Amino acid sequence: MHKNLKRYFPVFALPTCAAFAMAFLIPFVMGIYLSFTKFTTVTNAQWVGVQNYITAFTADNNFINALWFTVKFTVVSVISVNVIAFFLAMLLTRPMKGTNLFRSVFFMPNLIGGIVLGYIWNLLINGILSYYGVDITYSAKYGFWGLVVMMNWQLIGYMMVIYIAGIQNIPGDLMEAASIDGAGPVKTLFKITIPMVMPSITICTFLTLTNSFKLFDQNLALTAGAPGRQTQMLALDIYNTFYGKIGWQGVGQAKAVVFFIIVAVIAFLQLYLTGKKEVEQ
Amino acid sequence: MASITLKNIKKTYDAKHTVIENLNLEIKDKEFMILVGPSGCGKSTTLRMIAGLEEISGGELLIGDRVVNDVAPKDRDIAMVFQSYALYPHMSVYKNMAFALKRKHEKQEEIDRKVHAAAKVLELEEYLNRKPRALSGGQRQRVALGRAMVRQPSVFLLDEPLSNLDAKLRAEMRTQLKKLHQDLQTTFVYVTHDQTEAMTMADRIVVMKDGVIQQVDTPQNLYNHPSNQFVAGFIGTPQMNFIDAKLAAESGRYFVCFDAYRIPLPDRMVKARDLADYTGQTVVLGVRPEDFHGEAEYRLKTQRNLIHLPVDQAEMMGAEIYLYGEIGKTPVVAKIPSAEPVAAGDTAALALDMQAAHLFDKRTGDAITD
Ligand SMILES: Nc1ncnc2c1ncn2[C@@H]1O[C@H](COP(=O)(O)OP(=O)(O)O)[C@@H](O)[C@H]1O
Ligand SMILES: [Mg+2]
Repeated sequence: MHKNLKRYFPVFALPTCAAFAMAFLIPFVMGIYLSFTKFTTVTNAQWVGVQNYITAFTADNNFINALWFTVKFTVVSVISVNVIAFFLAMLLTRPMKGTNLFRSVFFMPNLIGGIVLGYIWNLLINGILSYYGVDITYSAKYGFWGLVVMMNWQLIGYMMVIYIAGIQNIPGDLMEAASIDGAGPVKTLFKITIPMVMPSITICTFLTLTNSFKLFDQNLALTAGAPGRQTQMLALDIYNTFYGKIGWQGVGQAKAVVFFIIVAVIAFLQLYLTGKKEVEQ
Repeated sequence: MASITLKNIKKTYDAKHTVIENLNLEIKDKEFMILVGPSGCGKSTTLRMIAGLEEISGGELLIGDRVVNDVAPKDRDIAMVFQSYALYPHMSVYKNMAFALKRKHEKQEEIDRKVHAAAKVLELEEYLNRKPRALSGGQRQRVALGRAMVRQPSVFLLDEPLSNLDAKLRAEMRTQLKKLHQDLQTTFVYVTHDQTEAMTMADRIVVMKDGVIQQVDTPQNLYNHPSNQFVAGFIGTPQMNFIDAKLAAESGRYFVCFDAYRIPLPDRMVKARDLADYTGQTVVLGVRPEDFHGEAEYRLKTQRNLIHLPVDQAEMMGAEIYLYGEIGKTPVVAKIPSAEPVAAGDTAALALDMQAAHLFDKRTGDAITD
């Protein structure tokens, strides 16, 4: 039986493998190839070596600025989203009335798509700023914090649900043992709760990290990079390079490859670092 | 080292559900007290109230002579061993045991000394750097004990600590726990649903049912003088036989009559209590399986209240054999030496030792004579 199945392995695996190759592997490899060419379409490409990469970093400061802005935004978002989500999860796992209602309400922003969310917050923030006679494009600072607030609003509920699951998985008698052992609320938090929800922390930081780093729709809808290109994040910069300037497709492609490498490195590093601290039960 | 006093303790989880109505209990200093009873009778609840993990709805709890109703668990000078052990999975055995000492800000050398001393007693020295998941059930159980020991509390609280171990290990740990109690010279309060554990380890046993204490006494007294039918049935295996019988009186002598039998009550029972009230009424005769004697045994004894038990089933246990049958319509178990030549299908002639028998009130279940 087992042997028979093995013989048919290619038949069963082929459709998925083909789909994976067509939708992901081939475009990916071609994308890397195109980043070394000057091209307009996939068939009309001339090899230019690493020229695109040099251009990306040296022709103007856009890419470096976008990278720096993205990094700042990501660091602030990852910390704020996770700290607030964890705090809310702690609150909503206490035995009190109405926790289910709060959980649902906090989760709801997640159901709204990025572009819509961007425009909603654009309206909100501009509505408030109009009292002071400015709008969100007045200063890069406004754009930055606007993005952070919006990101928090969107992601906190989702992360909170993951943290709630993690916290509820901690056996109650562990907490009781800690209370008998003399651990106060702070010690219990740092010595018991946080180590015990390390798997959730790994997942949540990973999700917030990649989501913040790759942010595009909301960035486009909220500030579109204004003022100037000061609030332009990596993905938006790549988009603008690719479609904004004739003949810069190759450069855009090169930026995308660099972007991919950064995201991959961050993901692996982060999984490795937090994974080491996880409790294996 | 401290006594524990429960005065009119009441526990309700919600308005309509009272788990414990009114519980009074005195646990002496250095005593090994075991709370036993069927599952759901409120043993853990009682223990957790002593620990401070469960709020007390009414009454007073004293540890030593201090009222601790509103004292936090950590300030009650107690340690608890949980059924699940509740070891901190992300900490090594050493850190698990040192955790409470660290919270008390003891010196590192002092912590080190105490942890190693406990590890030595519990034979855990070579596992100190392991995480709990890399230990066997028995080792985890000892870590849980060690974690309690290092704190040198005045009271040890243990909630079914042996129920996750296999039978052999459980028997071993019973002896070890008993020894540990003697060495530590502290008060132990131990919860179990297993009467064997209670009988083998306790100085005194509390038998509970539905949140009500049925009897508090030494294992010996519980076995010999159960105060009601529930205690009589709960303590001892196989369970005591209960046979409905009519109490008859004739010229100053009393008899229990059931099926075709009419057995005189021994003087002990007659003297203990005026039985006139029960004369002519149905009472419950309680006879432990081991108080039936096979032929080889009873020939040596003077008393011969012979019962003829048609044996439906004979269960060989090694030194003993359990005989199952019915007298009238009542199922009866007898436990006799396996040397007796009895097999299923036989009718065994068994002598009933009335000196060891009990009489219970049919209606209330209380012992008439014990
Ligand atoms: N947190 C709780 N909420 C409501 N009822 C409870 C709770 N804990 C225990 N009970 C009830 O209290 C009774 C006694 O429970 P427990 O003390 O755990 O029994 P046991 O003797 O088996 O240890 C049970 O009927 C149980 O259903
Ligand atoms: Mg229990």
